Amino acid sequence: MNNFPFVARRRHSFLVLTIVALICFAFALMGMTAMAAEAASALDGRWSGKIQVPGQELILVVDLAHRASWNGSATLPGLNVKGAPLTEINVQGDDVSFGIQAMTGPGVEAPKIQARLSDKKLVGDFLQGGNTARFILEKTGAPQVEEPLRSTPVAKEFEGDWKGDYELLGYPRKVTLKLQNHASQPASADFVIVGRNVNNLPVVRITQQGNFITIESSAFGGLAYEGRLENGEIHGTLLQGPVEVGLVLRHPK
Amino acid sequence: MRLSLFLILSVAVCSLTLSAHGQMMFRGNAAHTGVYSGPAPRQFHRIKWKFPTGNRIVASPVIEGRLIYFGSDDGNVYAVESETGRQVWKTKTRGPVSATPAVANGILYIGSYDGNFYALNAETGELKWKFATGGERRFEARGLHGMQPKNQTIADPFDVFLSSPVVIDGAVYFGSGDGHVYRLDANSGDLNWKFKTGDVVHASPAFADDTIFVGSWDSYFYAIDAKSGKEKWRFHGGEDALIHNQVGFQSSPAIENGVVYTGCRDAQLYALDATSGKQKWKFDNQLSWVITSPAVCNGRVYFGTSDSALYHVVEAATGKSLVKQDGGAYLFSSPAVVNNTVFIGVLNGTFVARDAETGKVLWEFQTDASKENKGWVLTAERRFNAPMLFFDNWKEGPLIAQDRQLSVGSIFSSPLVANGTVYFGSTDGFLYAID
Repeated sequence: MNNFPFVARRRHSFLVLTIVALICFAFALMGMTAMAAEAASALDGRWSGKIQVPGQELILVVDLAHRASWNGSATLPGLNVKGAPLTEINVQGDDVSFGIQAMTGPGVEAPKIQARLSDKKLVGDFLQGGNTARFILEKTGAPQVEEPLRSTPVAKEFEGDWKGDYELLGYPRKVTLKLQNHASQPASADFVIVGRNVNNLPVVRITQQGNFITIESSAFGGLAYEGRLENGEIHGTLLQGPVEVGLVLRHPK
Repeated sequence: MRLSLFLILSVAVCSLTLSAHGQMMFRGNAAHTGVYSGPAPRQFHRIKWKFPTGNRIVASPVIEGRLIYFGSDDGNVYAVESETGRQVWKTKTRGPVSATPAVANGILYIGSYDGNFYALNAETGELKWKFATGGERRFEARGLHGMQPKNQTIADPFDVFLSSPVVIDGAVYFGSGDGHVYRLDANSGDLNWKFKTGDVVHASPAFADDTIFVGSWDSYFYAIDAKSGKEKWRFHGGEDALIHNQVGFQSSPAIENGVVYTGCRDAQLYALDATSGKQKWKFDNQLSWVITSPAVCNGRVYFGTSDSALYHVVEAATGKSLVKQDGGAYLFSSPAVVNNTVFIGVLNGTFVARDAETGKVLWEFQTDASKENKGWVLTAERRFNAPMLFFDNWKEGPLIAQDRQLSVGSIFSSPLVANGTVYFGSTDGFLYAID
């Protein structure tokens, strides 16, 4: 019967152990949070350096910012890339990976970055077109992330169905465009070009400034229509790669 | 069994076609069929030799006896021993020699970007005579290919070849950047006649039935009476008033059984009746240029495309597709058919041997420059890496990009096959002999 104090001691010990474990866990959590915050803080910034492509050094500037989540942009001065949005930013401890929304072409996907924070430098690989090159970036200051242009609502005069046609390289094309507003949200568009094929163009941005409207699509490696509203018609230019062709859009009768 | 017999007969027919004309001019013969006599390497064994020049080689070599003759963009015409690659002579011109020579009766004929057409002693390289054309130039247009500024006249960086001469019956025929097709007396260099077209003639004329066949960048393909220089007929290819991208005959024709086969920048391969110029059929390549000169053999037409980089074999009688395969990158080199093997160069710096029947790749050779891939001109799959090249449409941007494309040892040159060895040039400056 004198085992009661032993039981009491065991209960006491269990309680102490639990409290200690909880305190340790809390400290660990705080530590991890602190480490994560430290890593975030360490990654947050403007990074600049060189990519060692064989026979050519490319300058790379990356702006990484952590607010509610990560966002960023990249600049490659030698390749005509300025403030391209970063995509799929993934930070795991000292490791970071992301894509650069630029430099796509026929059969070539956007470049990707895989890097690690090491000795206050961002060291990693630049992957493009199936090729891989090493880079080292150093922090040069606070991030200056470029916000991508966003779609705007359009004026009532632009809303509705539009039709037009043009000829390119000897082939006639018919264009239909449907512009819609969504309360205070950005406008949306159905943009279709019918030539030898029916092309439903994915619209990435619609912007209106005064009488001018621009509709941008990611189709065919980048296609845009820029037009001006004049007397109920949109007089503009379709830009596809190096080609510029006049296109007048009218409301169907 | 039937197939075997057909193949044996086919080989015999192709070889007979060749032996009737020799291999002393562009595409092997005056009809430019691109057919050569065997044997030819079905397997890659070695680089027999490679001969360095001072600049790019875009045109093709020819062989006469023991010597290989070719031009280089370093301005020289070369004669080297076919067995060893040892230089026998070189003769300097005052411009890039982007044409393929023709050799007849001990005289080598070739044009240069200096605007002169040369006749050289084939044994020594000494000048026999030279003829001044109206001057060379490349095809040019405002806003060409959509380059900016669009009101600026821009010379076409893809107009790489000069017209290669055809020599027959004591006369030499060639085209010029001055827009004319010339006939000169092969012995004296005297002008017999000149035929005016509307733009640059850098395609190489083919000869059959006393007629010269050649296309111009003015969008027309011409049949010219070889004796009089009078037009027999003309055929109108596509036009492109907007960016001048889909216009002009850069491809040289091949003539076989009364039919003219020619590629065009309007993305068509045309089969025309040689007598009337009437279109028999056309093969649409979906906006992709046909620069290669088609090879014709055994009722088949072999050719490649530029942007779509496709290797095609079509039925000569109908244009029906028989083989369509990925060519890797832009194809400007014209295929050479030898027995059951087709050889073709690729602008990504590879040289490919294919089975003539199936199109299957038998072997590939890659230049060192292509392997090094400086500046990532190529993707890992050896396609042109457009984002690393054509990122700037302004001023000289696209021209610099095209220049960089050629840094991988591009093979524009059309292969010459003789005595079991394949010869071709590369933009890395070397002439290669592979067996």
